[in-house]
Amino acid sequence: MRRAPGRRLPHPGALVALALAVLAAAAFGALIAAAQDRPSVLALDAYLRRILVFSLAQAALSTVLSLALGAALALALARRRFPGRGLALAALGAAAVMPAIVVVFSVVAVYGRSGWLAVGLEATGLTLRPDPFGWPGILLAHVFLNAALATRVYLDALSRAPAEHWRLAAILGFGARATFAHLDRPILMRETPGLAGLVFLLCFTSFAIVLTLGGGPGKATLEVAIFSALRVELDFARAAMLAGVQLAICLSLTLVLHWAVTRAPVVPTERLPIARPDAGDPRLRRLDRAVLALGGALVLPILAATLEGAAALPRVFDRDLAHAATTSVAIALVSAVLACAMAIALAGAAQAARSRRRGRLAAAYDVLPALVLAIPPFALTAGLFLLLRGRVGPTQAGFLLLPLVNAIGALPFAYRFLAPALATSAERHGRLAALLGLTGLRRIAIVDWPVLRRPLAGAFAFAAALSFGDFGIVALFGGTELRTVPYLLYERLGAYRLDEAAAIGLLLVAAAFALSAFATRMARC
Amino acid sequence: MLIVDACRLAWPDFETLYALEAPSGSMLAIVGPSGGGKTTLLSMIAGFETPVSGRLAFDGRDLLPLSPAERPVAMMFQDNNLFAHLTAAQNVALGIRPSLRLAEADRARVAEALAAVDLAGLEARRPEQLSGGQRQRVALARALVSRKPLLLLDEPFGALDPGLRREMIAIVDDLRRARGITVLITIHTPEDVLDRADALAFVARGRVLVQDAPRAALDPTRDPAIAAFVGHAAPAKS
Repeated sequence: MRRAPGRRLPHPGALVALALAVLAAAAFGALIAAAQDRPSVLALDAYLRRILVFSLAQAALSTVLSLALGAALALALARRRFPGRGLALAALGAAAVMPAIVVVFSVVAVYGRSGWLAVGLEATGLTLRPDPFGWPGILLAHVFLNAALATRVYLDALSRAPAEHWRLAAILGFGARATFAHLDRPILMRETPGLAGLVFLLCFTSFAIVLTLGGGPGKATLEVAIFSALRVELDFARAAMLAGVQLAICLSLTLVLHWAVTRAPVVPTERLPIARPDAGDPRLRRLDRAVLALGGALVLPILAATLEGAAALPRVFDRDLAHAATTSVAIALVSAVLACAMAIALAGAAQAARSRRRGRLAAAYDVLPALVLAIPPFALTAGLFLLLRGRVGPTQAGFLLLPLVNAIGALPFAYRFLAPALATSAERHGRLAALLGLTGLRRIAIVDWPVLRRPLAGAFAFAAALSFGDFGIVALFGGTELRTVPYLLYERLGAYRLDEAAAIGLLLVAAAFALSAFATRMARC
Repeated sequence: MLIVDACRLAWPDFETLYALEAPSGSMLAIVGPSGGGKTTLLSMIAGFETPVSGRLAFDGRDLLPLSPAERPVAMMFQDNNLFAHLTAAQNVALGIRPSLRLAEADRARVAEALAAVDLAGLEARRPEQLSGGQRQRVALARALVSRKPLLLLDEPFGALDPGLRREMIAIVDDLRRARGITVLITIHTPEDVLDRADALAFVARGRVLVQDAPRAALDPTRDPAIAAFVGHAAPAKS
């Protein structure tokens, strides 16, 4: 397949980038066109101001708490070796990937009016009635999910510290303070901007948790407001305006963070790890014990509450569940395939641009997957739905749009799995492949596939897990004809069939955990 | 005098039995194939590996009960010798006090050490603003201010060009003569140290096969492993 020089076909990645831009533009265009009938609502009213303040405040507080707890837990886990450490890591892994709707359910089961905490307090004679709705529940759920995520990211970064640095620390006689100042703190600081940005975005755009635990009209995120504008008020103008505000905030945050975060390359070595010099410090030992206890107190009850569903498991295996599971699996598979295909195309385009020394273009491809996180999925879905209206029914539209929007949501994560692998492959064999004239599919088969196989399996499993557990835009389409498993859980919650909801939650957690554990193993190579 | 006497380290798939001596103030080059145990030897002297049996002493002092920080040892690696968030001067100051709270006299020592490795004026630079050779000289300055009499260099200049490599070895050699430091250096290119080192130890299969004057130690007739090693190295020498 030799092409004439100068006549270059567009890279598939360029087409994917174009398609994403066209989709987003078309969706917004359709929303704005639909808004033409009622331009009067396009004002920044008191309600919008209130939810903006609430969204920003809860996201900021959730981010600070999650990162602080995550950093402390990561340090404690890095310093300590204790029986059950592997289990603690697995519990954190399970917490980080728990579907938001299940977290909500478990938070209520533990901290609700008749939850474990209330029962325990009553037994001790206290008359305090815990109420998780509003601020406490939202913060608890967000910190549960994101502290677990932050712990994993920080711990991973800490474990990548150069082995030489630990040897120097031992020779130079670093104590606990110097170890923190010169080894741990710089690593934590390097990870913090990117991680803070991600957690802030996740909390700022949080939907399922705020919708169900908000507990009042003022306690909403923009995402929830967009949903209610679309589904409850059928007010497209308002939805478009809210989506525009959210997009502007998220896009600017993403861009600022992307240019702010630079990483100093670390030369990898194959030296064996040695013991940390600060492991013996008695004050740190007490601190770590307290931090681990706090982390356990946050994570374990909420995780354990999902197990309550085991009793009702036999009762939920009915036709509804079989139907919903089939739908969910199909949607998860299609969206995982789409997400991986888009990620490979974009990563390949970034790599191609880099090898032609077009660094800016490569950087643009690299930032694109992060940018799509800023597009509100409800706005995207509603806009595309407006375009499809009249051609297909709402249920068919749901079947078309769910995999697509889920795939776009999973794209940044799939990209994170796949882009480094493609870069490694290009670094190792790029010149050799060019020398041998390997291009196109043959190059992929011989050069890239062996390196890509495991990360691809990881990206696929992770994208499938995200899509399978997602309770987002299905809330727009859900009904008797289109039910996913998370939607079924939402319905049972609404009908106060709590034990059945718990059983479905357990199934969701099991699926998410299995898929993400597989993804982590694959990514580790 | 550094004495390594029958030091045995054992892993399921690798075993060492080291024996060598280096007079105080001398430079000993350690040469041999990859995976032969050169780095493990330095790691043991520094205190990262503990031998199951044998004796390790420097100037009459038993090193085995001492932690790495208590041993009279400074060390330098091929990469990652510097902390990226600290300036050159701060990286050197770690050799005096890890807390970086320095007295005026300490500051003077840092400046003096940087001047000794020809880096006066670059105190405020961070590692990413320094060249590879400059970074290694900062690490060398840190070894100097720590006033440890035994300097272990683990492939310190392997990533540098041949000219720069020889220049760096000349700096190390001058410093050890001026200050009476004992230097152990592992190196892939023995021709760089033939005229500088007092002795050369050939390490393979976890053992010191030969320790002798540098040229004599590399005589290919002394051991098939040396012949194999020199055979590969020969084209580079001519």
